[in-house]
This record gives sequence, structure tokens and C-alpha cells, in this order.
Amino acid sequence: MIDVGAAVALIVMLPSPASRLPMQDTTRGKAVYVKWCAGCHGDTGAGDGVAAAHMLPRPRNFTGGLYKIRTTASGQLPTDADLLRAIDEGLPGSAMPGWKGRLSDAERRSVLAYIKTFSSFFADTSQHVVPLKFSSPPGGGTGADALKVGRQFYDSIGCRKCHGDQGRGDGPSAPTLKDDADFPIFAADLHQNWRFRGGGAVEDIYRRLRTGLDGTPMPSFADLIDQKFLTDQELWRLAQYVRSLSPAAPPEVRDVVHAPQIPGTVPASPDDSTWARVARYWFPLVGQVIHKSRWFAPAVSGVWVQAVHDGKRLALRVSWDDRTESPDTAWLKFEQRILQTVAGDDSGSPPPQAEPWPDQLAVQFPRRLPEGSGGMERPYFLMGGATDPVYQWRWISRPRHAFAGLARGIERFDTLPGAPAGQATYDRGEWRLVLTRALATPDTANEVQLEAGRAIPLAFFAWDGSSGEHGSRMAVSTWYFLALDRPTPPGVFISPVLAMLVTLGLGLVVVRRAQRRGGARHIS
Amino acid sequence: MNLPSAIRRYAEHPFRQAVGILVLAYIVVVWVVPVLPGSAIVPKSVVLQYMVTVLVGVLIYVSDNEERWHRFKEPIQAVLVEPRLKLVRAAVLAGVTALVGLVAYGQVTTSVAAPPNLRSIHPAPPAEITFRGKAITLTGLENPLRQHTDSLAAYLAEGKRVYYQNCLPCHGDHLDGQGHFAPGFNPLPANFQDNGTIAQLTESFVFWRVAKGGPGLPREGTPWNSAMPVWEDFLTEREIWSVILFLYEQTGWKPRTWEKTEPGGGSRETGGGHD
Repeated sequence: MIDVGAAVALIVMLPSPASRLPMQDTTRGKAVYVKWCAGCHGDTGAGDGVAAAHMLPRPRNFTGGLYKIRTTASGQLPTDADLLRAIDEGLPGSAMPGWKGRLSDAERRSVLAYIKTFSSFFADTSQHVVPLKFSSPPGGGTGADALKVGRQFYDSIGCRKCHGDQGRGDGPSAPTLKDDADFPIFAADLHQNWRFRGGGAVEDIYRRLRTGLDGTPMPSFADLIDQKFLTDQELWRLAQYVRSLSPAAPPEVRDVVHAPQIPGTVPASPDDSTWARVARYWFPLVGQVIHKSRWFAPAVSGVWVQAVHDGKRLALRVSWDDRTESPDTAWLKFEQRILQTVAGDDSGSPPPQAEPWPDQLAVQFPRRLPEGSGGMERPYFLMGGATDPVYQWRWISRPRHAFAGLARGIERFDTLPGAPAGQATYDRGEWRLVLTRALATPDTANEVQLEAGRAIPLAFFAWDGSSGEHGSRMAVSTWYFLALDRPTPPGVFISPVLAMLVTLGLGLVVVRRAQRRGGARHIS
Repeated sequence: MNLPSAIRRYAEHPFRQAVGILVLAYIVVVWVVPVLPGSAIVPKSVVLQYMVTVLVGVLIYVSDNEERWHRFKEPIQAVLVEPRLKLVRAAVLAGVTALVGLVAYGQVTTSVAAPPNLRSIHPAPPAEITFRGKAITLTGLENPLRQHTDSLAAYLAEGKRVYYQNCLPCHGDHLDGQGHFAPGFNPLPANFQDNGTIAQLTESFVFWRVAKGGPGLPREGTPWNSAMPVWEDFLTEREIWSVILFLYEQTGWKPRTWEKTEPGGGSRETGGGHD
């Protein structure tokens, strides 16, 4: 571990960065940094730019020389290539974008050189920074046996303490986690590898296991190999297991949720076997940064949605990752740290006190299906407005129940008598909720009538109570669509078959005629 | 016989040329055009239009000359009549029939799609707006902060702070509309680096869009979808003009300016541009 006190003393004693690195011209790098980086990372590189308080995770503090994503051993400085990769590709799941294609090669290299001047550790040229040698993935594939080995080590080396039994970042130690700067830090949700800072490929995961994430509670497991607790191959198996928890490719956002018509009645339970056979759709959620009080650190990054209908009722299944079954007093301290770390709109007053808020979900529809102008006009996506309300289904984790009502903006919600049926399961970091309602209801003025064959607008909102989310502090989506598909009518095959018969007949006529003419030509 | 001349001889035949041109056109339209900068995936109906156009062109070319037309027809004729090509003939007939069946099936089973998002990107601004109860005439209005040349640096610094604390989550570090919250919204946040946004607009137009946000859009701007906040609820008039200064400074674009005309006439917009 680096001695922080000694480091501070070093920085104080050392002359200005420019004279420390006389070999390198950092004027250009400084210009690029001041223009594009300082807003978040701060003029002195301390990660305290004007935007920093609106971000979680916070922007990197360059003065400590401490970096999460490296190819070097734990406690070592990163290589230039490591830093350049972060600059080029960005850090997924954070606010850091990739600058490749935005800044020129020369600009990115010069800003890299300038960033290193913020920490005296880089000036010490006696420390030769060398990347670790990484092995290649072992053979034997990633079948059930390989993943089983990986899972064994997931349990035995303590991954589940923070990342949880199913890897959704909900382990028993998760609510205690903070980084070296005392900011709250989430154990990664291993089901969303597209948000891993260092990349979601199995090679990236293996490297993080070898190097650890310095400055965070995530350790390096290299010493366990040295102690012969596990082999390099077994570490690969662990990486393969972690990789297997996420989809093969990052979810693609599609506009329309298709609800197939099923025989019998729609499933009311979130764990009904029907759901395994229905396509699921991913919708990203982002912070509510439009109305006071804004929320810059949404806990729910997206929802998976499935839908079926039986001609009479619709069943909508929404599942999302949530580290807590809120309210959960074990997370109150963590919630307080989030509220202290993330700036809100009431910046003058002290941060709000952590309270045991419940989890919530809202599914939003217009009151009536849009008519005219191509069916595209809808109420305001963010919970409608005073004169143009939206119809919402709401679900709350405690007391657990579902209800429906009209929202007129974020602040005003009027409950309607008719409620959807709601059944929810909380399972090790995941909520699975099924809401069902009749397609047609008596209150046609306020409750959307779900017609098959129409594009029905819908949107989603989610609150994680243990992250301090309630009211306007939430994750929001834009409008998407739900379509109740009709079963394929038997008549659907008539016209294609007819078209084929006509084509074949015409083809045969053309051939016959050509042959007759060709034959005639031969005779003449 | 070397390879290039073999290829040339092979490609000399008008039928093969026609097929080659059609295949090439399809590749260009479907795979090459979408990767060109500023381009997008070509919709299926447009691909069909392009292919029909190319086909007509090819037919005009091959039928333009009697001998070429004759040679062009030879392989078609051969497939239709030659006894030794019986199998090919059957395969072509079966293939065309199956294709027609598939297309017809696709036509009758079209599923529900999202309605087209017909949206006016730069709707006409009002002549006057009310900003926190104060009337502001937009027509002919320039950024008032530009007159204070000695305080410009301070205004830019303020604009930068306002941008990073408010605009960044959507419009992004590079002002290109790719902030970390951008993927959650539709339409996507405006890309200020693009030559079609602030480069085309007067600062008074930008002021209107910032002050009134999505809910202040006229109907053709599909106000129900835009996530742009109503910034007059958050920012002062000076903060908005400051952040507008910052947008132009950071991207290097020049705002479109108003052309001053003699008394009696109004003012007109005149072109902006990149420096």
C-alpha cells in the first residue's frame, strides 16, 4: 500500500510539475485538459471540478496516482497504455466518455502526459512501471463444468460477500462499502457487464481479478495464486462464470414490446413458466434531471419487460436489479452517504436525512390511445401535465400493493378506483413484478383501453428507496410502445399460396413458349 | 492466360455485367452508404427504389445495341430451353416461386411498429417570450453579454460552470449530445458540434429553446417527447446568456446574426459559420 502521508509530503516538497518533468512539453496537454477535462476533474486534477458533485462514481482524483483500471500489479502505477485506454474508450457505467474520435491522437497523448504531472509518483522514474503478463483463456470451453468450477471459487474466495449470491451487488457487506476517498461505492452488478468500467469481456474480468481495483474494496486475487489456493486456470474459470451472468451481447433497445396472445389465461405470478418462453425487452432508465428536485445518481439503470395477453387480460412482467428489498435499515448509513455525496437542487441546505423509503415502480400509459397525426401525439412523457394527465400503474414494496391513478406532473397523483393486480418477488438483488389488468375497463375516460394491433405508448419509472429515491428523485424512461399481437389467422396463408401458384403458372408458360419458339427456330 | 484477362473475358458478357452491377449496387446501398459520415441505414422501401432504378438503367444499357441485347438474352434463353439445363430451369422456377411466397407472407403478417416520429427540428420561434414575468423580444435580439468585452472571460467561466452542472448529463463532455443520460431519451439531446444545430441559429433562438425547453415547443416540435427542461425554473437570464456564450466558444461555431436594416424594415437572420 502507498503511504498517503509520505505522498502528501512529497507533493508539498516538490517544485512545480513543469520543472519536475523538463523533458516533456505539457503546455499543449494542459490546454486540452483545461478545455475538456477540468469541468469534472478540476483545475488541479483533484477530481473536484464543478460537475463532480453531480456524479456517482465521482471523477478520478489524479493527485493520488491511484487508478482502478490497470494492467499492473495491485499498488502499482498504471502504464501509459492503461491511462490511454481509459481516455480513448471511456469508463462504461460512469460519466467518463471515450475521447477517441473526439480529440486527435496528439491531443489525447498530450493530455495523458499532463495528467501524470498531477501526481508526484509518476515523476519518480526509478519506479519502472511494467504490465503483468496475462495468460490466455484456457481450453475446455465455457460449458457447465467450467462454469461450475468458476462458481465454486466465486463462493470460496468471498466474491459473494459483496457481489451477492446471484452477483447483483447485494452481498451482506455491500452496504458498508466505500472507496479510499470515503465516497459510497456499489459492488458491481455482475449481470450488467456493459457497465463494467474496465470492459465486459472475459479477458477484462480476468485482468480485474489479477490486478484488483485500487482505491476500492475490490482486491487483487493474484496472491491466492501465489499461495496455491487456486490456479491461474481456476481464476479464468471464475472470470468465465462472472461473464456468463450477463447476456452474450449488451441489450439492444427496441421501440415496441410485443405481447403475444396465449391460450388459456395470463400468468399472474412472476415465476410462472410462461415467462421463460416470452421475449424480453430492455429499456434504459436515467436520472430525473428535468424537474426540481433533480436526481443525478439513479440506482436502477434499466428494466426488462415482458408481456402476454389472452384476449381478455394483459400481463406485464417488469424485472429490474435492485440491491435491497427496501425499506432496509441495514442500508440507512449507505443511503446517508449517497445523499451527502450527490448534489441536489437544495444545495444551500444540509443534505436530507436518510429515511427508510420503499422501492417503487410506475408503468405509464396515455389515458386514451392517440388518434390523428399518425397516432404519434402523446401526453408529456414525464408524468403528463396539469391539463393532460397520464394513466399510471404504480407498485410499492411496503406495504406491498399495486394501484392505478392519474398523474398530472411529478407532484400530483390521483388514485383511481380500478387497480391492476400485482404480484412481486424479491429474489437476491432482483425484483420481478407482474401487473395484470383487463384489456377493456368500464372507465374508458381515464383508463387506457388496450386494443390489439395498436401501438400503445408506455413508459417506466423506478425508485430504489435505499438509495434515497422517492418523489422526483427517480429513474425515468422516455415513451416506448406496447403492441398486443393477434394470433396468426389461418387465412394468412391463402394469399401467399395464391401468389406462388400464379408465379409458378406464369413461369411455366414462359418456359413453354420459349421452348416452342426455340424449337421452331431450330426447324426453320 | 493470366487471371486479370480471364476475369475481364468473363466480365465481358453483358448478362454477367448486368448481374454484377445489380449486386454491386445492392452492396453499396445496403452496406456502404450507412457507414458514410452523416449517413444512416437506408430504409427497405428506398433500397427497392434504388434497385428498380438501377435495373431500368441496366436494361436500357443492354437493349441499346442489337448485338449486346442478343448476347444478353442468350443465357436466359438457354436456361429456358436447353434440355441439358433442365435442373437449373427447375431450380430457378422453384426459387422465384418461393421468393414470391415469402414476400407475400411478409406483407400479410406485418406487425405493429412504432408510429413515425415526424418532428420539426428547428420550429419557428415566437417573436416575443415572457421570461419569469419579464417580456423579452427575440426578433433582432443579440446576446447582451457580448457588449461587455472586458467581462467576457468571467461570463465564459460562469457559462462553463452552468454547462457542467446542468447540461452535461445529456449533452455530454464533448457537447455532442452523447452525455451519460442521453441514451435514455428520444429524441436524442442536440449535438452542438454538428453544423445543423447552434451553427445555424441565432443566440436569441438558443435562448428561447433553453428558457422554455421541451414543454415550450410548438406542436410540430413534438413537445411531449423532448426531455429539455424549462431552464427559466433553474437559471437566471444572465446564466442562460453565459452558457450560450460557452456553447459557441467551446465548439468554435459562430452564431447566426441579425442583419440590421433601415428604420421601418425589420431585421433578418444572416449566415453563421465555423471559424
